Amino acid sequence: MPELPELNPVIHGKLRLALLSLLSGVEEAEFTWLRAKTGSTDGNLGAQLLKLEEAGYVTIEKKFVQRKPQTLYRMTEAGREALTEYVQALKQLLGAAIDA
Amino acid sequence: MTTNAEEQELRERLNLIETMIAEGRRSTESWGWSFVLWGMAYYVAIAWATWGHSALAWPVTMIAAGVLTGIFASRNSGKNPETTIGRAILAIWMAMGISTFLIMLSLSLSGRMELHGAVAFIGAMLGTANAASSIVLKWKMQFACAVAWWAAGVVGAFTSDTVTSIVFLAAIFFCQIVFGVYGMIAEAREHRLHQRNQGASHA
Repeated sequence: MPELPELNPVIHGKLRLALLSLLSGVEEAEFTWLRAKTGSTDGNLGAQLLKLEEAGYVTIEKKFVQRKPQTLYRMTEAGREALTEYVQALKQLLGAAIDA
Repeated sequence: MTTNAEEQELRERLNLIETMIAEGRRSTESWGWSFVLWGMAYYVAIAWATWGHSALAWPVTMIAAGVLTGIFASRNSGKNPETTIGRAILAIWMAMGISTFLIMLSLSLSGRMELHGAVAFIGAMLGTANAASSIVLKWKMQFACAVAWWAAGVVGAFTSDTVTSIVFLAAIFFCQIVFGVYGMIAEAREHRLHQRNQGASHA
């Protein structure tokens, strides 16, 4: 019997999973846009994004646009690979559950 | 062994991924207004060139329309992140706009501008841009506009000055003004629907 895959704990958190999925569809996204799409609080969102950044799954760019601070998040290649592997692992686990 | 509860949890994760990817890619950008604006700009340029007999009519009106489009677009773009599809559409229309402007300006300055050739060229360019956009966006209505522009270009090559002018004016009306208003209504409807769905999911 083949061994079941482990789910990546960094991505497995619901908010972190939602954030990576959102970022996979856009070039880059602002903090405020991510907050609106996830309905999360500033503190929680910032903490989860920091974990994704520490894992090397997102990069952060801070800049000023018309004198207003703007924080932009971009998914890295490692983040894209991790999300793809996570989806494959999920499907494999679900396949195993259906077969059981 | 995966239990039913765990299986349900895994399915929820998969649904979350699909929903969020679709949400990120969902374009909330509104472009219906730009079709109306450019349709009006064409009418202004035609009226100015016809009754004002000015060689500046087309270049000045087109530059003004381009500047207005840039201002309105930059105001809207800050609200949404850039997507690959959005950039592809922008690339198509920018390339079409620059090509048309350069060729029409050159023909106008060289004194070789001629009604049938101009309508055929504009019809071909707008047909190409609308067709490419409609294929990327999977929007049949826009492809119908592309067909109408191609038809206007082809008809213009065979008919009299009067018929060519009427066909061109009709194509502007249906493919710019009517299509633009239809686009604005569709965008407003989609926006309302999305807000309602978001309200339901956050409840």
